[in-house]
Amino acid sequence: MKLLLAEDTKDLNRAVSAILAHDGFEVDSTFDGEEALEHIKNNTYDGIILDIMMPKMDGLEVLRELRNLNIMTPVMLLTAKAEVDDRVNGLDAGADDYLTKPFAMKELLARIRAMTRRKSDYTQKQLTFSDVTLSSGNFELKCENTVSLSNKEFELMQLLILNAGKDLDNNYIIERVWPDNEKADENIVYLYISYLRGKLESVASRTRIVGDKGGSYCLVRAS
Amino acid sequence: MEEMESIYGEKLSLMNDVLEDVLNKIDIVREEMKEKHFGEDPVEHCLARIKSEESMREKCIRKGIPVNVESALAEIHDAIGIRVVCAFIDDVYEIRNYIVQLSDIKVIEEKDYIKHAKPNGYRSYHMIIQHSSGLYVEIQLRTISMDTWAALEHHLYYKKNIEANAKELIVSELKRCADELASTDVSMQTIRNMIYDE
Repeated sequence: MKLLLAEDTKDLNRAVSAILAHDGFEVDSTFDGEEALEHIKNNTYDGIILDIMMPKMDGLEVLRELRNLNIMTPVMLLTAKAEVDDRVNGLDAGADDYLTKPFAMKELLARIRAMTRRKSDYTQKQLTFSDVTLSSGNFELKCENTVSLSNKEFELMQLLILNAGKDLDNNYIIERVWPDNEKADENIVYLYISYLRGKLESVASRTRIVGDKGGSYCLVRAS
Repeated sequence: MEEMESIYGEKLSLMNDVLEDVLNKIDIVREEMKEKHFGEDPVEHCLARIKSEESMREKCIRKGIPVNVESALAEIHDAIGIRVVCAFIDDVYEIRNYIVQLSDIKVIEEKDYIKHAKPNGYRSYHMIIQHSSGLYVEIQLRTISMDTWAALEHHLYYKKNIEANAKELIVSELKRCADELASTDVSMQTIRNMIYDE
């Protein structure tokens, strides 16, 4: 699991990063809002931890920006303020959880584990990217026409849309779409990517999936 | 085949000749494709019919043209109809390409309802060609799935007394089935490509 941490207090940042790493997470540490947002735009994370009070861009601004970009990664806000308004504003702006400082490390860890567990519940009913819309209610992919996707095709398409423009490698895809299939390898990924390429064409979409068998794939906007 | 003297008149025998001629041309195309496809005939089946008198009269009335052989054959282009059903989507397009190349027919109109499905879910590739005799022939190209769906949808419109709410539900469910069948068609084609590209 990969996390982004944005905390401007250096000591706290180092301590939290070390403990998260020790618990098995891969952590990218950032020290201000702008740096955090840059990382979020260019990488894929399973969870994001944002301090509210940060220089350059505060946590709430970063949060609003990333939600506007259709990034649905779960977000936890950290703050020294115990104000109810901050909590309410933070949650309404799209945060999934909130922890006030000072906090117990083991509580932070437990909440992060809980938050990254729930990722699948936070997906919207309809996702739109480029010229296609994906509906979770009926597993439909729509552009000019509509086509029905199977369970795994839907999950893969959703993963591609949520990470649009980013390169996803085979392991990343297998861990999230075929977590219970020990035999899953680059072949099944390639087959399902091929299915999706066909379905995109059949609904007259010009959105493309770039990538070759064995390598990374990336969903690219219709040009 | 019924006698349809009163609308097609003396033209009926010519129409049958044209139908047979175009079917023969399609058979030749099938043979050519078979050679390219490791001996496999890309066509599952081929049906041909001359539009029934009742349907033809009804269509003339609907279009507001006189109910006689001249209107029937000049204005309405599906008096002679051929339906070619294939297992795979790519074969549908390949046959289309062969038909377009045929020497003594002229393609008048093409409508791709596969790429641009109708709102109710209907998918097929329609071509209207003009035979050297001057008569028109409508050729429908589709996959087995599309054919199955169309046949079922036809039953819906045959049964006259379906209650409005039930009908609305049926129509939307038929569309969902059409979209699922379309998806399966694409998957089968993808698998075939994978087998032949190995």
